[in-house]
Amino acid sequence: MSEPQTLMRKGALEGVRVIDFSWIVAGPQCTRILGDFGADVIKIENDANMDYIRASRPVGGSSSPNRSPLFTTLNRNKRSLTLNVMHPRGMELLKDLIKKSDVIVENFSSRVLEKWGLGYEEQKKINPKIIYCSMSGFGHTGRDRDFVTWGPTAQALSGLTFMSGLPGEESAGWGFSYMDHTGGFYGTIAIMMALIHRNKTGEGQHIDLSQVETGIALTGTSVLDYTVNSRPFRRDEMPPGNRAPDRQIAPHNSYPCKGDDRWCVIAVTNEDEWDSLVDAVGNPSWAGEDRFASMESRFANQEPLDAFIAEWTINHSPHEVFDILQGAGVPAGAVQTPVERAEKDPQLKHRDFIAEIPHEELGKARVESIPMRMSETPWKLERPSPLLGEHSAEIYTELLDVTPEELATLYEEGIA
Amino acid sequence: MISQTQQTPPERTGGALEDITVIELCGARGHFMAKLMGDMGARVIKIEPLGGAPERQIGPFMDDDPHPDRSLFFWAHNTSKESLELNIETSEGQKIIKRLAATADVILEDFEPGYLPSLGLGYKNLSAENEKLVMTSLTAFGQDGPYRDYKSTDIVALAMGGIMHSCGYDDLPGSPPIRPSGDHGNKIASHYGLMGTLAAIFNRHFSGRGQYIDASAHEACNSTTEHALPTYLYEGENVFRQTGRHHSTTPTPKTLCKTSDGKYVIVFQLFNNLHSWLSLVKWMADVGMAEDLQEERYKDMARGGSRGMRAATDTTDSDHAFEVVRRFIASQTSEDIYRGAQNLKFPWGQVRSPEENLNDPHFAEDRQMFANIPHSEMGEGVSFKYVGRPYRFTESPWDAFRPPLVGEHTKSILSVDLEYSEQDLKTLEVNGIISSNQN
Repeated sequence: MSEPQTLMRKGALEGVRVIDFSWIVAGPQCTRILGDFGADVIKIENDANMDYIRASRPVGGSSSPNRSPLFTTLNRNKRSLTLNVMHPRGMELLKDLIKKSDVIVENFSSRVLEKWGLGYEEQKKINPKIIYCSMSGFGHTGRDRDFVTWGPTAQALSGLTFMSGLPGEESAGWGFSYMDHTGGFYGTIAIMMALIHRNKTGEGQHIDLSQVETGIALTGTSVLDYTVNSRPFRRDEMPPGNRAPDRQIAPHNSYPCKGDDRWCVIAVTNEDEWDSLVDAVGNPSWAGEDRFASMESRFANQEPLDAFIAEWTINHSPHEVFDILQGAGVPAGAVQTPVERAEKDPQLKHRDFIAEIPHEELGKARVESIPMRMSETPWKLERPSPLLGEHSAEIYTELLDVTPEELATLYEEGIA
Repeated sequence: MISQTQQTPPERTGGALEDITVIELCGARGHFMAKLMGDMGARVIKIEPLGGAPERQIGPFMDDDPHPDRSLFFWAHNTSKESLELNIETSEGQKIIKRLAATADVILEDFEPGYLPSLGLGYKNLSAENEKLVMTSLTAFGQDGPYRDYKSTDIVALAMGGIMHSCGYDDLPGSPPIRPSGDHGNKIASHYGLMGTLAAIFNRHFSGRGQYIDASAHEACNSTTEHALPTYLYEGENVFRQTGRHHSTTPTPKTLCKTSDGKYVIVFQLFNNLHSWLSLVKWMADVGMAEDLQEERYKDMARGGSRGMRAATDTTDSDHAFEVVRRFIASQTSEDIYRGAQNLKFPWGQVRSPEENLNDPHFAEDRQMFANIPHSEMGEGVSFKYVGRPYRFTESPWDAFRPPLVGEHTKSILSVDLEYSEQDLKTLEVNGIISSNQN
């Protein structure tokens, strides 16, 4: 890794090169953030084996591998290299690239890189300082290491699906692959920790991530309730819906609003907020009843309390509730829809949340930005998601010293 | 019951963050990011108001005793920290924070915007004496903008962030969007706050300068909703919630299947590939439940794989096959379906309650996913089983110790790190800067 002498750095991870074999969502989420922080992320695919998210809901129904909205958002700020690692020359070129890189990320099932003859021990022989992050479902050791996960599998096994829902009903679970995204975050976190460790010690390492374990690590409170109190989460009153039995506060729920399937949330955390809520809804007589006089009694009587509050919210849109209650100092929110988030939310607009950049096939790419501002190394949308093989020529010739003549041969023989 | 012996943080070596000192001024939004740093070797000094952090009032509690040192919610989010109980709204308290910040690497805080600067403890103040300082402010909505001063909690973040819009039921009329329990709005915020912090620590190694990170739960949640935004941004359509499975713009087959033990498994990618399909049908036939699934047309669907299925518009056959499989699954236990299907390469999962992983030999035994953490304040040899490491490193180990008692390290930090004398500490107590009930 080069060590720039200047204080001005283009990104926090400038100088870090990442070989990205990752596919679908979890791995690309991990490397998206590395790229957002300024790492040079080289995504390796080939015509026969491409990231299949490239085929997810392509805009205009085209068969082009470059028009998937989800691919676009997960793969901005990366470069695309087509390389066939099954060909001996392809493997040679890959090993050359490993020498010039800092990190290898993959989210294949647990034995794939070993089968390529490229397990961590082999990687280390090529580049002793390499940081290898494997993101599999169950990890690289243990009796079930060959089991496979998609995001929903990891959510189900770890307990997260079960923890989401109304008591007495089936699980509502997560409406998307939360553990692909969060599993990706843990990959990013672990890789940056390993880079910090390497700055100090000079040594690389293997990070063995299991998507299910990452999910388990998010269930700490519930596991302790069992190991300390012998109280399982699987019991009649759980999951808690939108209420807050852990905090014993009320009102704390979702409430119906004006409109078709429109909802708001209200969370009153103390007496001041309760008083403000009562004022904001017009001091109705029910609010003065003894059974709602303290947090404890409101929590005990939240069924009728929620019904009274719903009588007020149903006459307002979610954003009216949000504006009225936040204006009064009460924590409240609208259950925002995608169109509201993308087009209306003035806070997201103010923070430039949706970023745009020209894209060769889509005209422009519109993606969510990284959700933070950094004073010294601000985020930039440097490039849209790469077309398949868009950067092959520059990477082969500039980084791997392939001559233009050989490059032509590589293309011809299906190596590049 | 609780002994008065202070826990000296155990010597830990080799953690990736072992020489990083973190001053944490966080509540429920940010305490998890500091824990993740502490568990990897950072020294985390948690600043708590007199009486202890409000999160210590959140249940469940050990033996249902709502004592501030017995909140299991607090335990789960605050391992590997020292506690300094301090009134930061006094000038002496502010002086202590400034002295700690002068040699610290990182400040993590989640107060409302403007609060710390109003105490003279903003990034400008603290970095003036320490240009290497990294400071991360993790707020509800960010340091500026029209919602900057609005109040938020976990459910507000999940509602405004679009996550609740995607979670809930499509077959329970009138049911609301659901907030997945477990403080995930706060956790998503913490994960992003931590990523920014680590990037800044890495950058500092080369630039010699720290920086200020302004991160918000609102943006963090909004950027963690998968298809919802891309689908709107490119197709102009809103996804909607569907029971136990992905949001989508059209109804999709239900994946939750009930098993004979009253539990559920999630079942998808039925026609993943021909080999898996044939093995599944054989398994069903062995118990006399394959019905007509051995017919050729189902093999054809499996030959097409998941891409072929996606292209198909007539779902009559696949719907029927799913119903037959569902009847088979209903006759078996969830454990048998989970393991049997995984052995055939189906990515199906048992819908477990969190505690059920304590009995899974792969995670509990082979991978040692749960960590026994000593709680010697409860008595000699007492320890409790926590969820353990979310990642395993070959060279820089994860290593957690128990969360601190309220103010457990106030005196040791002030006397050892800042060289306050016994007399100074008495004065601080008398003036209400630190608590007089120190451990």
